[in-house]
Amino acid sequence: MSSVIMTDSLTKQYGEKAVVNKLDLKVPSGSIYGFLGPNGAGKSTTLKLLLGLIKPTEGHMKLLGREVNTENRLAILSQTGSLIESPAYYGHLSGKENLRIICTLKDVPFKEIDKVLEIVRMTKQQNKKVSKYSLGMKQRLGLAAALLGAPKLLLLDEPTNGLDPAGIQEMRELICSLPEQYGMSVVVSSHLLSEIDQMATHAGIIDHGQLIFQDSLSSLHEHSKSRIILHTDNDSEALKILKQLNIPAIRKDGSLLLKVQQDALVAKTIASLVRGGIGILRVYEQQMSLEDIFLHLTGKQVSL
Amino acid sequence: MNSSTMRGLKAERKKARHRKVWLVPLGFLFFEVIWMLWQLSSIKEEERITGYLMLFYQLPIMNTILLPAMISVIASRLCDMEIKGDTLKLLYTLQRPSSFFDCKFITGIKYLLCFTIGHGILIPAAGQIFHFGSPLKVSMLAAYLAVMLCTGMILSAIQQTLSLMSNSQIMPLATGLAGSFLGLFSLFFPAPAARLIIWGYFAAFPCVKMNWDRTTKITEFYEVPFPLSGFFIFTVTGILIFIICRTIAVKKEV
Ligand SMILES: Nc1ncnc2c1ncn2[C@@H]1O[C@H](COP(=O)(O)OP(=O)(O)O)[C@@H](O)[C@H]1O
Ligand SMILES: [Mg+2]
Repeated sequence: MSSVIMTDSLTKQYGEKAVVNKLDLKVPSGSIYGFLGPNGAGKSTTLKLLLGLIKPTEGHMKLLGREVNTENRLAILSQTGSLIESPAYYGHLSGKENLRIICTLKDVPFKEIDKVLEIVRMTKQQNKKVSKYSLGMKQRLGLAAALLGAPKLLLLDEPTNGLDPAGIQEMRELICSLPEQYGMSVVVSSHLLSEIDQMATHAGIIDHGQLIFQDSLSSLHEHSKSRIILHTDNDSEALKILKQLNIPAIRKDGSLLLKVQQDALVAKTIASLVRGGIGILRVYEQQMSLEDIFLHLTGKQVSL
Repeated sequence: MNSSTMRGLKAERKKARHRKVWLVPLGFLFFEVIWMLWQLSSIKEEERITGYLMLFYQLPIMNTILLPAMISVIASRLCDMEIKGDTLKLLYTLQRPSSFFDCKFITGIKYLLCFTIGHGILIPAAGQIFHFGSPLKVSMLAAYLAVMLCTGMILSAIQQTLSLMSNSQIMPLATGLAGSFLGLFSLFFPAPAARLIIWGYFAAFPCVKMNWDRTTKITEFYEVPFPLSGFFIFTVTGILIFIICRTIAVKKEV
């Protein structure tokens, strides 16, 4: 599968601090790439770097298969749409007039406006002044603007931020529908794991400017399979035996967490414990949640 | 002009809808008409012969007072929508920041140009209505309008930069007002100090000077040659100021 975004040790420093640190992003074509990280991790900065809004301190990037430089930047960006942080709009104009401005700048015929308004379900409100819009409507108008000109790549920075639950759901469904219906690849950033879990096909996790995970969402879920929870009548004695057997295990919340995968090994481990005089109370497999994975990857609690 | 600049200008035209920016130069022009009518309605018969000279003496001073304020209001009307709507991060993915700056500048200059053309019509019209005794010298009118437009353009570049750089429009507007006062005061400054006050340049290249006789109490206007080389240096400096302003505005992080 080809990549719509490829970066090579993309770095942005503010003073001494590397806000984005040697990022090697790889966004497959046709994917919804969830760009996940806590607040201040460097998501917006990364997306701004991709859009050329700020200059990287170091590194290269390829968008839609082309190495980006100052000469071809706008030509490449004409095939992308973006929505960065808060929505951009002209409050004294109607939604439709706003989109006309973007059409003019993108050199796209006005007749596309009706189509994108339809997609974001804003046809009814198109003649209202944008200053009278709710945040959710502004955000959808921003998405409509990004969709003008049928871009191949969309960069959306926390598009559900500040929306009410209904608005969030609507925005998620909208984003999910884009790749199949319009053949777009989408990068969507979020600080919410559950959100990425619902929308994305691929995920990149950024923390303190560094990419700590990048793969398909299913492979992220793979991380969650190998945990056996064990309740015993003597955890400390059990831990000793497990150590002798070389089974990775930790104590957590009055139970033992075992990192074993194969069924045979599980059986052998339990048998050894029983032989060692440990009373086994319960054995069960636990799916590691994405939150746990994040904790595991970063060693830090995430906001939910 | 390439097609992306044309698109940028078209977009600026669309943005200015419902903003009623036209009212600003029209309002100031209207004020000047009233002022002229008031000035000229009491004109004495013997003053009619130097009627144009009087206007070309007084109007630059009037411009020094009015234009810094007017230009700051126009720039602010055109730029605050970009700040309020946080649009630059979107626009800069669609056009070069420098091209955006240029389009904004040209849009602002359109209003200034109309104001200038308004003067080009008003002055001969005043001469007709009040039967000035000597004909209008076209070169003098041209010099007057050129100074006005050139100084106005430089101030526009400065005001536009201030308006784009600040989160609220209070500072740029205050600068415009302060410029009006400073420009006026600079007319009384010693020459080297006055040269530093950009707002005073509307009246810095006079074609006409005044002589006031203390004993006879007679005011006399007389023509002096236009300081062409000084104006040329000013224009070149103006281009430099524009480039500096644009460089600053383009560097702004979005
Ligand atoms: N212009 C800047 N100057 C200095 N630091 C900045 C600047 N922009 C962002 N930062 C810092 O970079 C870090 C990442 O910011 P950001 O990319 O906005 O994070 P996120 O979008 O993931 O919440 C933050 O700690 C922020 O304070
Ligand atoms: Mg952010």
